[in-house]
Amino acid sequence: MLALSRVRKLFRGAPVLDGIELTIRRGETWGLCGPGASGKSVLLKVMCGLLRSDGGNVRIAGVPIEQADEPTLMGLRARFGMLFQNNALFDFMTVGDNVAFPLTRRGGVDPEEIRSRVADRLRAVGLAGSENRFPSELSGGMRKRVGIARAVIARPDILIYDEPTAGLDPVTTSKIYDLLLREREETGATVVVVSSDLPPLLRFAPRIAMIYRGQLHYDGPSSEAADAPDPIVRQFLRGEVEGPL
Amino acid sequence: MNSARGWTAPVQLVGERVLEGIEEVGGMALLLIGLLRALVPPRISGRELLRQLNKMAVSSVPIVMLTAFFTGSIMVIQSGIFVKRFGAYGLLGWGAGYAVLREVGPLLIGLMFSGRVGSNNAAELATMTVTEQIDGLRALAIEPIRYLIVPRVLAMVIAMLCLLVIGDLVALGGGALLTRILFHVEFSSLFHSLFDNLKPWDFLIGVIKSIFFGFAIALTSCHFGTSVKGGAIGVGRAVNDAVVAAALAIMVSDYLLTLVLR
Amino acid sequence: MKRWLDGIRLFNYVARQTVIAAVRGRRPRGELLRQMDQLGNRSVLFIAVTLGFISMVLVFQTCLQINHITGDLSQVGAEFAKILVHEFGPTLTAMMLATRVGAGIAAEVGSMVVTEQVDALQMCGVDPIEYLISPRFLASLLMTAVLTVLGITVALGMGALIAYLSFHVNPRIFFDLSRIQPGDLATGMAKVVAYGAAIPIVSGFCGLTTHGGSEGVGGATTRAVIASSFAVIALDLFLSCTGLLLFQGGL
Repeated sequence: MLALSRVRKLFRGAPVLDGIELTIRRGETWGLCGPGASGKSVLLKVMCGLLRSDGGNVRIAGVPIEQADEPTLMGLRARFGMLFQNNALFDFMTVGDNVAFPLTRRGGVDPEEIRSRVADRLRAVGLAGSENRFPSELSGGMRKRVGIARAVIARPDILIYDEPTAGLDPVTTSKIYDLLLREREETGATVVVVSSDLPPLLRFAPRIAMIYRGQLHYDGPSSEAADAPDPIVRQFLRGEVEGPL
Repeated sequence: MNSARGWTAPVQLVGERVLEGIEEVGGMALLLIGLLRALVPPRISGRELLRQLNKMAVSSVPIVMLTAFFTGSIMVIQSGIFVKRFGAYGLLGWGAGYAVLREVGPLLIGLMFSGRVGSNNAAELATMTVTEQIDGLRALAIEPIRYLIVPRVLAMVIAMLCLLVIGDLVALGGGALLTRILFHVEFSSLFHSLFDNLKPWDFLIGVIKSIFFGFAIALTSCHFGTSVKGGAIGVGRAVNDAVVAAALAIMVSDYLLTLVLR
Repeated sequence: MKRWLDGIRLFNYVARQTVIAAVRGRRPRGELLRQMDQLGNRSVLFIAVTLGFISMVLVFQTCLQINHITGDLSQVGAEFAKILVHEFGPTLTAMMLATRVGAGIAAEVGSMVVTEQVDALQMCGVDPIEYLISPRFLASLLMTAVLTVLGITVALGMGALIAYLSFHVNPRIFFDLSRIQPGDLATGMAKVVAYGAAIPIVSGFCGLTTHGGSEGVGGATTRAVIASSFAVIALDLFLSCTGLLLFQGGL
């Protein structure tokens, strides 16, 4: 579904991503972790075509995106559903319009169906009936759930969750992961999750990777990650103070 | 905004705006009082003043020079249109010089200074406010006005004054160059026209205006910078409000100064 | 150097895309009206006050000088109306809009960039230029024209008032539009269109290229004010030169 080979990304001359090799198969769930400013968000944005890489190539569903023109890229992006780190809800729209946005933009779906699907998704995230509220009136956890509803409404092939639980309390975190789990079972989509909150991530994703200074230091089963040969990975996953990090 | 208000809506809107305006003016007046109080034993951190001066004045020199060059040129064209009809090319230098020194120079340089320095200052103070750095200063028993605002206000007044002098020179030079090219008037006759008809007072009026404009820009940008609310969006709005208020303040004080200084 | 070239290429792209999308006309419903309200209606008071005061200053200064030389103030109104139409009306209105509207657009778009709303738009298959900049571009084209007319009207009125109050010029003599020639109108209109187009594109570009958090938004707003004000001044010089060569019989 997603294939990256030898991907490099420079920012003001300094490499942020350096030689990323990665293949994610259809229906797989892939977790990504790593210390702050190690290139997690950049990798996500390169993956879904929001940022262009400076070297190597990225294929989305078999299509190389380096040569793709803007309309092709738009079409590819429409296969993604994305939850952003800060939710990125459109603050000039109601919650209902936010969730409906990916459908209304695509066109061809009649308004009645859009309305029922929005109501259905909002019910699924536990926010039934809040169509007419504005994002600014909601709490952080509620906004996150609206963001999830918006990400999944168009039944995308690939779901990307950037820090789905950052800044949330443990109870809300569990609720969010429950929600992600249910969405995954329902849609069967390929899922990519980035999180610094390790225990729930390890439970959620069977395969995880760790990125450090723009390079992947581990990519394999999450159950074996804590005993990985690389000392950087071991230290990060065990949360030890002493070590190469 | 609210459709339920019916036909009185425009009146209410104007009323609301006026009230909001009065509130901001009041905030600026309080800031001014605080500023004066902080100046009573004039303990000004010289290092901070120099740092701000360097940041504000030096970094604005290119944009002010460009603006001044263009302004001088535009004024030559405008007075050229006028002068040509009467064939009085001898008055060209005077017309353009008079307009630049007394009026258009301080005005446009003031507006650019507000855009460059005023908005930058508002953005910086607003960022400090939303990231709670100003509260941090208070917690360390450092008065924000004395430490942050006073050097900035002084630096802006001084910077605006220096930039105006530079701008006047560049504008006159640029105007002379364009006159030479477009109207084939010799530099010598141009400068005769300029110096015979213009008095030092014309230049001084511009300088006095620049001091007031600099102060107005400083006050508005510091006020909106420190009274910001709400995250990244608030910072953008504060900068927006600061430049709009500065433009209003420049226009109104220009009018009042014109009445006083003849 | 490379960063400059990249910037120019990106600006070129934004400008072209804005115009193409504005012509093709796929806009969310009501967005154009919303932007016209945002850009236009909310600037009315600002434009009226600033243009009113500056026109009083200009008329006052002119009368003062003419009093020193000839003392014949009968021509002031006619000349003021002429220069207002082809120079001060459009340019001063645009300078004011560059601060008010330019800063507004950059602040709004910039905060959407740092809160990832622009990324979210792209992920929904929406071109942010088409969605965000084009409606503002069209609204600015229309409202700059309307506000310039308003500005000129207010300026003439306040100019007449100060001429009457301070120099006893009869308003009937002051209101003299006979000097305004077709060339003046053409120059003025060309300026209105150029400014109206330049301000949203320049400030939209500044907003879209925002980096970082709240500091980034402040920086983008600052850049937008400077860049759009400067665009107005540069366009003014260019169009004044062109107007001089075309309509005032050249040199």
